[in-house]
Amino acid sequence: MSVVLGIETSCDETAAAVVDDGWRVRSSIVESSIDQHRDFGGVVPELAGRAHVAMIAPVVRAALEAAGLDVERPGLDAVAVTSGPGLIGSLLVGLAAAKAYALSWDAPLVTVNHLEGHLYAPLLERPGLAWPLLTLLVSGGHTMLVYQRGPGDHEVVGETIDDAAGEAYDKVARWLGLGYPGGPPIDRLAGEGDPNALALPVSMTGDDLDFSFSGLKSAVVRAGERRPDLAPADVAASFQRAAVEQLTRKLRRALDRYEVAGVAIAGGVAANSALRAAVREIATSYGVVAHVPSLALCTDNAAMIAAAGLARFSRGLVSGLDASADPNWALADVL
Amino acid sequence: MGVVRALAIETATTACAIGLVDAERAEARLLAADRRHVEVLAVGIESLLADFALRPGDLGRIVVDRGPGLFTGLRVGLATAFALADATGAGLVGVTSLELLAHGARDAGVRGRFVAVVDGRRGEVFTQSFELDEVVTVLSAPAVERPRDVVIAWATNGVAVTFAGDGVARYDADFAAVPNGTVHRLTVPPVLCALALASREPGPVTPLYLREADAVANFTTRDGA
Ligand SMILES: [Zn+2]
Repeated sequence: MSVVLGIETSCDETAAAVVDDGWRVRSSIVESSIDQHRDFGGVVPELAGRAHVAMIAPVVRAALEAAGLDVERPGLDAVAVTSGPGLIGSLLVGLAAAKAYALSWDAPLVTVNHLEGHLYAPLLERPGLAWPLLTLLVSGGHTMLVYQRGPGDHEVVGETIDDAAGEAYDKVARWLGLGYPGGPPIDRLAGEGDPNALALPVSMTGDDLDFSFSGLKSAVVRAGERRPDLAPADVAASFQRAAVEQLTRKLRRALDRYEVAGVAIAGGVAANSALRAAVREIATSYGVVAHVPSLALCTDNAAMIAAAGLARFSRGLVSGLDASADPNWALADVL
Repeated sequence: MGVVRALAIETATTACAIGLVDAERAEARLLAADRRHVEVLAVGIESLLADFALRPGDLGRIVVDRGPGLFTGLRVGLATAFALADATGAGLVGVTSLELLAHGARDAGVRGRFVAVVDGRRGEVFTQSFELDEVVTVLSAPAVERPRDVVIAWATNGVAVTFAGDGVARYDADFAAVPNGTVHRLTVPPVLCALALASREPGPVTPLYLREADAVANFTTRDGA
């Protein structure tokens, strides 16, 4: 049985987890510095870096202890760590620590692409799932459709041409005075509003599988300014309907094109209640399985990094202790 | 007191250096001079340990430079030290880049007033003054200052003083102009001096940034991924 430690520090979460080759999560610890970033309306790299260096060793120790392992003799098969994409100063903390652990325990180092990590969330909840999958990977930094033939075998088939979906949520939330991050408050407020209150233009109606969210935010602001009488809840509901509509229209189009056994959502925006409901509905109408991971596996965590690392390790894809971080590592470039 | 096998990690400047000491010998190694800390550090430690026929678990102490210096490099060194200490059970000792420069200068024969000057970028330097004789005596707390202000203060008080550090190298014309000043060529905080401090009481180590993150933040943000 292989057991892998995963370490994730690409943004504001300092996370560590232990996963075994039955895709069982033995422990998963996540410490976020998000409270320190709220006033700035986004993640401040220097604040994130400081939090990571303060938290990395305690978080790793907590993950090992929760998995019943000794920090000095954990008997791990590999140490997996996110080496991109993400904030460079944050990535370096996790990578440096991971190398030191690997060196101390004489365990192989496996560098993992953060986005590939997200693709492993469904597997951790359904180890026996049927392939292939179409996955909608949506977060504050990324929006893409991925066709997965199996673990580690994926192809990006659609991508945003400008902003990420999560970015649009943050911008609209800022305009409504809802604070940062914008996803959760908009989701909450949208539940109390009329999704048809604002007529918003439908973007990206073409035949491709790409997305665009930069126009949607401006359209919301313009429409809201024309109708200052509108309740914020109605604005939030209308925006959410338009955002989810674009995501699911492309997902349907992809399902028309690719023969799959299931659809999945991943990334922070996969915690959105409207998107989760819509994806379940689409899966039912297409007769495929819906993989809607628990919230803890949608947002950034290290269990997904350990899982991706485990898959790479089993394929012999280990890294040297001289590995570097790549803040712009594209999913399409993952071998 | 028994022999302490100690590893020293130095990443506060653009250079990355390590040192190792055991009962027989001490050795220092410059791994890189160009900020590639994360690429060279773990590999360097692995090969230095191998040359001493030691394993990580044989280490009794890990001495790490906790700053001040360049934040990203510092964190690479600190994260490495924290993880190594936790995984091997070695005691952790934190030293500062400024005191290492003072000890290095003293070992090189410098005596009297000494000011350690580490480049802080943004037109500022991290400084601390010492008195060097048989021992190193701290005269002031670590501070962040404009190089010109340091130069003017010492030129005005007229006390004979020696400056060293990569902050001096960066603003060398300014420091060379102090009539009562001498510039010493030491720029990288010496790891052999860090090894000499390995017998200090181990305990929790925190970074010495000397700048608030809020000021550094300057509202440069990136939305979460
Ligand atoms: Zn993510």
